[in-house]
Amino acid sequence: MRVRNRLSRLLVVIGPGLIAAAAGNDAGGIATYASAGAQFGYRTLFVMVLTTAALVIVQEMCARLGAYTGEGLVSLIREQFPLRIGAFAVMCLIVANIGIVVSEFAGIGAAFELFGVTRYISVPIAAIVIWAVIVFGSYRYAERVMLLLALVFVTYPIAMIFGHPDWAKVGAQSILPHLLGQKEFLFLVVALIGTTISPYMQLYQAAAVADRGVGPDDYAGERLDSITGSVLANFVSMSIIIATAAAIGGTGPLASAKDAAEALKPVLGPGAEALFAIGLLGASALAAAVVPLATAYGVAEAAGTERSVSRTFAEAPLFLGLFTGQVVVGAVVALAPGNLIDLLINTQVLNGLVAPVILSFVLMLANRRSVLGEAVNGPVLRVVSGAAVGVISLLALIVFVQSVLGLG
Amino acid sequence: MPRLNPLPSRTRLRERRHARSRRLLASRAVAESLVSTAGLIGRPVRNPSGAEIGTVRDVVARWDGGEYPPVTGFVVRIGRRLAYVPAAQVERMGHREVSLRSSRLDLVDFKRREGEVLLVQDVIDHQLVDVDGVRVIRAADLYLANVGSMYRVVGVDVSVGTLLRRLGPTRWRARPTPERVIDWAAIQPFGRPGSPIRLREGNRALHRLRPSELADLLEELGRRERQELLAALEPETAADALEEMEAEELESLLRESDEEQAAALLAVMEPDEAVDALRDLQDDERDQLLAMMPAHKSAELRALLGYEERTAGGLMTSHLLIARRGDTVAGVRARLADDADHRGDLPGVIVVDDDGRLLDDISLFELLVADGDRTMDSLCGEPWPVTVTPDAGIDDVVERFVDERGASLVVVDEEERPVGRILADDLIDALAPQSRVQVRRRLA
Repeated sequence: MRVRNRLSRLLVVIGPGLIAAAAGNDAGGIATYASAGAQFGYRTLFVMVLTTAALVIVQEMCARLGAYTGEGLVSLIREQFPLRIGAFAVMCLIVANIGIVVSEFAGIGAAFELFGVTRYISVPIAAIVIWAVIVFGSYRYAERVMLLLALVFVTYPIAMIFGHPDWAKVGAQSILPHLLGQKEFLFLVVALIGTTISPYMQLYQAAAVADRGVGPDDYAGERLDSITGSVLANFVSMSIIIATAAAIGGTGPLASAKDAAEALKPVLGPGAEALFAIGLLGASALAAAVVPLATAYGVAEAAGTERSVSRTFAEAPLFLGLFTGQVVVGAVVALAPGNLIDLLINTQVLNGLVAPVILSFVLMLANRRSVLGEAVNGPVLRVVSGAAVGVISLLALIVFVQSVLGLG
Repeated sequence: MPRLNPLPSRTRLRERRHARSRRLLASRAVAESLVSTAGLIGRPVRNPSGAEIGTVRDVVARWDGGEYPPVTGFVVRIGRRLAYVPAAQVERMGHREVSLRSSRLDLVDFKRREGEVLLVQDVIDHQLVDVDGVRVIRAADLYLANVGSMYRVVGVDVSVGTLLRRLGPTRWRARPTPERVIDWAAIQPFGRPGSPIRLREGNRALHRLRPSELADLLEELGRRERQELLAALEPETAADALEEMEAEELESLLRESDEEQAAALLAVMEPDEAVDALRDLQDDERDQLLAMMPAHKSAELRALLGYEERTAGGLMTSHLLIARRGDTVAGVRARLADDADHRGDLPGVIVVDDDGRLLDDISLFELLVADGDRTMDSLCGEPWPVTVTPDAGIDDVVERFVDERGASLVVVDEEERPVGRILADDLIDALAPQSRVQVRRRLA
């Protein structure tokens, strides 16, 4: 339906796209990227380049599924797979998303700790406020405020340049293939994969495309959007790694949000810490509302029950129960004693471990001619995407055996 | 639009639904003879001597427009092959097995005939519309019963408990758990996924639904299902429902429909609602749709699109009934009768002079009580109509309404020629606070 000049379109997309990509970072992402920069300097950049390629492939498949079927991922799984297998996928998705919710509340706690407020006060209050805003209040207004706060992270690419990183090293580490066999490195790689290619992103991508009524005719433009969106998101992610590496690279694992704020000092000066806290709060609070809502919506839709926040508990028990349950579990786990940054990274590893399951379902759906018709994955894409999912699964398996089971 | 009966409350809907289910399960015999489709899958198919010849893979039913679709056969896995067994060859269908009438069985491959669906592959776990409850459901299980001489689909189970039963061990599956069964007569099913959308006769109960209820259903359905529901509705009914949809949902519905259909629907919608919908689309999409409409319709909509959104011109409908001063009351009444489709938009008849300038707005009441022989001229007089110009802002419009307490305002251009009318309900739509956030799959 829409024919557009590709170049002008690209320019139009990049501006707002960059902002969306920057503001779209959440607590888990920032903690993981910053930790990668702090602990391993520029060494994770090559992994990020590979991850970008995988993200582009996966997000494109999800957008295609949304455009050609008009359905969300959870509904597709319910319709296309036997109930037991579908239920397993949905359980995995819920577990991964609860992990994200935990990380968002941990992010809120970390942001308030930068202002000297203990998380034992800030997290419960935040949970109640977020729950109440969604159930009784105006989500749209709150969304705008939170997005505005999260715009602080637009400064990362600028901070990267002002921080004078060793560009030769940046280039070399991005292009030359390498992987450290170290246990800590692999652990962080899986965290990077989990935060970048998180199952939630796939859920969101398919649903967003389907909901906008994008159909096969409009798909060419949508595909370009999804690809540029993925590339920009990872450009911002890499700029976080580089900026942090330039500021505090090689000082070992990230210890606190305070250290992470160091990376923004070249741009924001002495106000960096406060602004970083504000951005972290905005990004975390937004995602802490959106992730449980979208999860509850997807599951309720697939179950075929009521799904609206304006229903009472008696009318929509599954939807409101799932939403409330995720907020409560997220807030409670975020209060567990221990280092918040560690908790943030662990939740991303959880996502990285679950990701192969959801990715396999995406792959199976996109390979089915009965689902996508003519838009089914071609032979080349089948091999490439299969290989990407295979590598991600292998890494997840190694980390599962090494770090979770404690072997090796 | 005139509302004939009050909107039923949610409680009322629930009662209506339960009444149906009670009726369905009224006789114990029916409750006990219900066969769970999900439970039947994987069960043995036996010949008269009791030997297992294969297992049930799927159940074939035919959507024939009747209240309870008949089961026409089974897809049976025999060895590595999938064979079709017509219902006529089945002696008995139990909870745990299907027994055949004769030991002779012709192995034929399953070929889908007109109107046939596979209950497991196409219906269970897919969306359906519960017309009585006015909601979109997903079938957790379908119940079959022997009605007269054949097995028919009689009910659909939507309980989460039934989903858990299906998740549990295989031996639980055969037990029907009809806790929340909906009578199939209240169901609007859809065709086979992936097949071209075919206009099938809709459930008759659909006609009882009011436009706002249809709009809710359209918003909740998946893309394929809502296109199918839309196709089963009369164009006028569909257009009425579209007028009640949330702007965002309507936008994506129009975008996903094929252009011809979208243009046809927009052309039938009230002009002001159609314009609101067109405004949300992109320029090229809008031009394309307008180009596919009849010329007079697209000209009318283009004129309305020329006005700013929150001005009198953007709020008004351009559908007017205009009479000359010499027209007789009887003649005008006849024209009104011809225009019954737009009755919701016609609180009065506008009288103009020979130059087309507004003289008066005659209410339907005045027209009703007047003698049929009188001319429109003679009805003109106090109270004079309240007018605004198309570029008046929404605040001005509100002020005029508040001052005059009328049901509508006439919009006139600089030369006093009537160009449209603003109805109180359009103003209410424009002033009502954004409805509470609709949680959709798309968030953020």
